[in-house]
Amino acid sequence: METILKKERLSEWVAQIGARATVFAPAFADGIWNFCAVAADTKVEFDHGNTVRPAKGFVFPQREVLYRFRQESGKAPELMETLPAAAPTVVFGVRPCDGRAMVRNDKVFTCGFNDPYYQARRDQVVFVGLACSEPPSQNCFCLSVGGSPHSEDGLDVLMTELDGRYHVKAITAKGREIVEGAAALLDKAQAADGKAAAKAHADADKHPQRALATMEKVAAGLKEHFDSPKWDELARACIGCGACTYLCPSCHCFDINDEITSNVPLTGERVRTWDNCQFPDFTMHSSGHNPRHDTGARLRQRVSHKLLYFVENHNIQQCTGCGRCISHCPVGIDIVRVATEVSGQ
Amino acid sequence: MSEVLETPVQAKKEAQEFEPKIVAFLCKWCSSAGSDLAGVSRLQYPPNAVPIQVMCSGSVSPLYILSAFNKGADGVLVSGCHPGDCHYLKGNFFARRRIYLVQKLLKFIGLEPDRFRMSWVSAAEGTKYAQVVADFVKDIKALGPQRKLKARN
Amino acid sequence: MVAIEDIRSRAKELLEGGMVRAVLGFRRSSAGLLAEPTFVVASEDVASLVWDATCVHNLALYLVNEKKRQKAERTPDTRPLAIIAKGCDSRAINVLLQENHVAREEVVILGVSCEGGGVVDTRKLADALRGKEAASAVCDDTGKVKVATASGEVTFPAADVLADRCLECTIAYPSVSDTMFGEKVDERGFTARFAAVKSIAAMSEQERSAFWDGHFERCIRCYACRAVCPMCYCDECVVDSTSFIVSPMTTAEEKANRIRWIQRSTTPADNAMYHMVRAMHLAGRCIDCAECERVCPVNIPLRLLNTSLEQEALEMFEYTPGMDPAQPSLISSFRDDDPNDFIR
Repeated sequence: METILKKERLSEWVAQIGARATVFAPAFADGIWNFCAVAADTKVEFDHGNTVRPAKGFVFPQREVLYRFRQESGKAPELMETLPAAAPTVVFGVRPCDGRAMVRNDKVFTCGFNDPYYQARRDQVVFVGLACSEPPSQNCFCLSVGGSPHSEDGLDVLMTELDGRYHVKAITAKGREIVEGAAALLDKAQAADGKAAAKAHADADKHPQRALATMEKVAAGLKEHFDSPKWDELARACIGCGACTYLCPSCHCFDINDEITSNVPLTGERVRTWDNCQFPDFTMHSSGHNPRHDTGARLRQRVSHKLLYFVENHNIQQCTGCGRCISHCPVGIDIVRVATEVSGQ
Repeated sequence: MSEVLETPVQAKKEAQEFEPKIVAFLCKWCSSAGSDLAGVSRLQYPPNAVPIQVMCSGSVSPLYILSAFNKGADGVLVSGCHPGDCHYLKGNFFARRRIYLVQKLLKFIGLEPDRFRMSWVSAAEGTKYAQVVADFVKDIKALGPQRKLKARN
Repeated sequence: MVAIEDIRSRAKELLEGGMVRAVLGFRRSSAGLLAEPTFVVASEDVASLVWDATCVHNLALYLVNEKKRQKAERTPDTRPLAIIAKGCDSRAINVLLQENHVAREEVVILGVSCEGGGVVDTRKLADALRGKEAASAVCDDTGKVKVATASGEVTFPAADVLADRCLECTIAYPSVSDTMFGEKVDERGFTARFAAVKSIAAMSEQERSAFWDGHFERCIRCYACRAVCPMCYCDECVVDSTSFIVSPMTTAEEKANRIRWIQRSTTPADNAMYHMVRAMHLAGRCIDCAECERVCPVNIPLRLLNTSLEQEALEMFEYTPGMDPAQPSLISSFRDDDPNDFIR
């Protein structure tokens, strides 16, 4: 379903949705772009690059309580369920790379085993994408990993900026619901509008981006050069922080801890938090042995997970080319360069 | 530590008036003996301070202080021997410098300065210890509960 | 302005003479404007070394990291490491020397004076360029920064695009070096020292509290601030979830009962705890390279925490970190006339 929204009516549409759901949109605050909750009567405009934090937090928050527990001494522990009571949420301005990352996260959390915490949030969130008219960052490489600046994967609605108006395409049932709910604001798209959107998409594709070899070539190269000395060389400057993975829209590793709030009676929460393969404790064994003992091994894990292991398991690359790990790396470690140099492409 | 904090004032939690929880790190040789003296002298002073005996005020890590706030303390007191009286000769001098910096840092992030205090209390100063605690409780009552560094749950 | 050829030729001499195992410097990065750290091992690669206002990193960090790396090697190359160090970086090396973390003979310091300039702050630059990407940034001797973009060259006054720490810096030349490049410039004429921290201290208590609550809430605990800090060299940190120091004698009980001072959860209180602990641990050690603030992906003004204590150390204890490796450290020394009136 394709419609047209005049730019000046965007805020109106957001406000209308805000009456029924919590609305998030990119906002520039404290020096960074982030998804911020939109308060009533705030003017919403899209002129953002990519947000620093990806959209994954809406379905996979950094901290999730799995259950609460309480144990009186000598008695069996009581467990209390804490499934999230997720409120309907609509997220505006999601870039197509973050949308595609959602497809990858779905594969991890809902294929084979359905993670109820993830699913509860996923069911309630609507992602309204915004096609990129030009690459929001100089480190974008979505075209090289099978995506595009106007990919619809994982999004519920895709908006494309045209002259003075947005082409709004509903993709999923959830998306159609919010578009149909605003029939008074959105006009039906004419054939010319569809053509204009297609032209905007074609123009966006023409912008130069960082380039990576094909999925098959990179995967084969990484597999062949697993033991390459290049890994250590490229990771020699790595400082071992977790910025790359915490900011990645498709990194999904987590840790589970018990947070004790009282010892008598034993009370607390079992909590799931993001974890990070770049930290030494990620693979630390209780014996003290660490199989990924240095930054080279950890860099190899991160890059290979994105571009080799995920391909082997799901036949798609996990990386969606947003470029955040490159732009935010304190020492300029660049996944495109690393994958290219190691795989010998 | 949460366990220690809960017990003595837990019963009063229900009471209408806010009863602050105070963690008091007392050096074994002076201040702890001073608090004992206050006790055996039957001095009346508020029961809000939970004493934790340490070997020297110089052994109190800033982490203990922050952790006490994190675990729900409304105020933290560090007390040691008067300058020159340290059992280990200079432990309290190290403490003085370090505590000064902790206090400035807490102030810088916007924690009320009255929530963190240092005192010199000798083994003979039972009355002073009672007074220090009474003053502290009074000041913290005026501020209300500490939430800034307290863990959510 | 220091000429890169001078640095390159000294680096070449050191490498050709086999006097160092590597020269640690800066080169252009594929990731963006800022230079990136590089280990030059072969003398023919010295041509990749660069020196300009984008060489922001404090390379002293790698003295620490390389030490750990060498420990794991069977036959480590024990020749010294040559390192390009700005004024602030050299002070970091001094602190590492003072704490006996590295020995003077393990490092050859190629000190570079920033003279009348400094390094760029990419966030300020992005603001100043309004969305245009910078391709290069060079600081000249007149306090101007020349920035090249796709649509031509723009010149900004230094105050608009240089990092705050450079504007406030009073010792922009190396305090310790084997070879020094550039002149010692004492009159820099930017901002007064501690200007940023004073503006926060001038806020009301409630404002300050809200200011920090807002910032700590954003923290994602990626620990980039800790990882980039040359002074954060502990084998094990209070925020780590496991013990790294495990010996064959460590019992399962000891491992299980490790105190969790700070939870892994990113709650505002735990985030605040982490940053407080780090600030305290850096008191009298932080030399204001402001790398923590630069690398923070969510833009928490971490430098303020450290400089506030630096200011206290200077004003109350007349202590400046990193000037002299022989001086006793701030926290492990005292004077009889230290402030006493705050104690009851």
